[in-house]
Amino acid sequence: MTETTTSENHHGDIIQVNNLRKSYGDIVAVDGVSFSVATGEVFGILGPNGAGKTTTVEILEGMRSSDSGSALINGVDVQKHPQAVKEIIGIQLQSSSFFDRLNLVEILDVFASIYRRQIDAMEFLRQVQLADRAKALFKELSGGQKQRFSVATTLVNDPLVLFLDEPTTGLDPQARHHMWDLVKRFKDEGRTVLLTTHYMEEAEELCDRVAIMDHGKIAALDRPDTLVDALLAKGFERPRSERLATLEDVFLDLTGRALRDAGPETDGQ
Amino acid sequence: MMLNRLIQTNPTLSMTRASMRMWFRDRQAIFWTFFLPLVLISIFGLLDVGAFSSVDLGVVDKANNEASRKLVGDIQGLGAFDISDTGTEADERQALLEGDRNLVLIIEPGFDDSRSQADREVTVIYNQGRQQESQSGRTIIQQILDEMTFADAGVEVRYRVDAQPVDSRNLRFIDFLMPGVVAMSIMQMGLFSVAFSFVQLKSRGILRRLLATPVNPASFLFAQVITRLTVSVIQTLVLIGLAVIAFDVQLVGNLSAVLVLAVLGGGVFVSMGFAVSGWAGSEDVAAPIANIIALPMMFLSGVFFPRDAMPKSIQLVADHLPLSYLVDAIRSVAIDGESLWSQWPDVLGLTAWVVVTFLVALRLFRWE
Repeated sequence: MTETTTSENHHGDIIQVNNLRKSYGDIVAVDGVSFSVATGEVFGILGPNGAGKTTTVEILEGMRSSDSGSALINGVDVQKHPQAVKEIIGIQLQSSSFFDRLNLVEILDVFASIYRRQIDAMEFLRQVQLADRAKALFKELSGGQKQRFSVATTLVNDPLVLFLDEPTTGLDPQARHHMWDLVKRFKDEGRTVLLTTHYMEEAEELCDRVAIMDHGKIAALDRPDTLVDALLAKGFERPRSERLATLEDVFLDLTGRALRDAGPETDGQ
Repeated sequence: MMLNRLIQTNPTLSMTRASMRMWFRDRQAIFWTFFLPLVLISIFGLLDVGAFSSVDLGVVDKANNEASRKLVGDIQGLGAFDISDTGTEADERQALLEGDRNLVLIIEPGFDDSRSQADREVTVIYNQGRQQESQSGRTIIQQILDEMTFADAGVEVRYRVDAQPVDSRNLRFIDFLMPGVVAMSIMQMGLFSVAFSFVQLKSRGILRRLLATPVNPASFLFAQVITRLTVSVIQTLVLIGLAVIAFDVQLVGNLSAVLVLAVLGGGVFVSMGFAVSGWAGSEDVAAPIANIIALPMMFLSGVFFPRDAMPKSIQLVADHLPLSYLVDAIRSVAIDGESLWSQWPDVLGLTAWVVVTFLVALRLFRWE
């Protein structure tokens, strides 16, 4: 099931993807993907590993070329003007590292300078609760702090669209909830967010709409509620009835919601 | 601040500043770039290996009379010998056997102004392994004895050598070594610093994160290259500075010409570093490759000893290594006082290497 309205140029759609294809040799990674994302929307791309979601997102980010099809961000063709698109988006890679031997403020300054901007780096660190680590090196941060700093670096150009690739993978529940709060704040600020995730509860919590990808195609695209209703309408029944609380609720009840990132994680890097 | 604003709104300047900060905060790089070459120069400066040492002469004056003292005094007055006369004959012979003396002069008790010919003989025992020193030592002693004979006989010496001292430059080993160490350090810095940092930038995903921004890759590379070339200039100044101040190396040539050579040489080895980083996927691969390139040059390019000492067939290749061109040019300019222009074959060789290595780097270098 693919969306059919993409050829019409919606005025409110900041991302427009039309029939995108990409193959690596015999393997078709992206097989005719079309969708569009409205300005201010949080849009999720879900799918098992190898479904083609990372390739799709990387084409949208201007980090990879497509074989055919088109992708527009804010009306700019990503294939023709990748640099222009990169000016108006922020990309958080799944696992990224930053310069050694520069502290957080210095790294943010370098990133801002790429956009020829002079920023108050401390303000950006405050937004992700890292102000007290301003002079720290990236490698000295804990896993959650690294992820938050990585998000901070994507904000220096005040992007219209944020791409977050599995933003909460490997984070503890407190750090995950903090990341969710950040995403909600970006939405409140009017930014468009496109995220990929393996966590369905994350998609339900954050996304206005989700696209579920498999084998390079979009298998379903709609609001999470609507997709669930559609499944139930087919007569689906969950084998065990839903409890009113989950184990995560128990965990958070016992350990609180405050961020736990006093020190670096030993398994970091 | 104005300057800060200028840097902050110019990606190239800001990345250059960042890359300089990173470089100078890297203790390991500082160690290899400055500390190790400084130690090398210091060791050879202090040892003064290979300098033509004065002749070590042991004196055993058993006579200890006016004539013998005059003889010893005349020998001392020449200043050509490093004289030790503290020991007994047995001590001195032992010292000779142990190689601490080149020759030992033994003046028998009968050495005085009596007219008996036999009494006026001195014995010189010498180290056969140090022919040159003992030969000249023997000649000098014979000459002093001849003069004493002429004086005794009342013969006026009619033929004399009028020796006029000229303050000529005595090249010591440190003078030879210093330009070699400078060139070698430029090679190590350019090759290893670029190869390692780019392999790390790639393997840790730092380059990838950069490419997610609208950064101009050329300005990022420019920042990296400028940093290394700046370091090669600072490195050259520091090493030459130490050699001149601490070890009295006479920098005859034009310093700015040496710095031009440092930058040109830096260009060759920085390009090599990029090529290695492109070829090697990880640090584990980059290190041996960089060493395979650097080590042979360290020994074949005339850093520590002249290439003339090598077999002709090896020389044929060694003469054209980039480090050979760099060593030769820096040595000629800095120590022999030649002009940069007169070293055009070396400069041409270096330039050719810059072009070749740049093209190879362009072909091998990968962003991801």
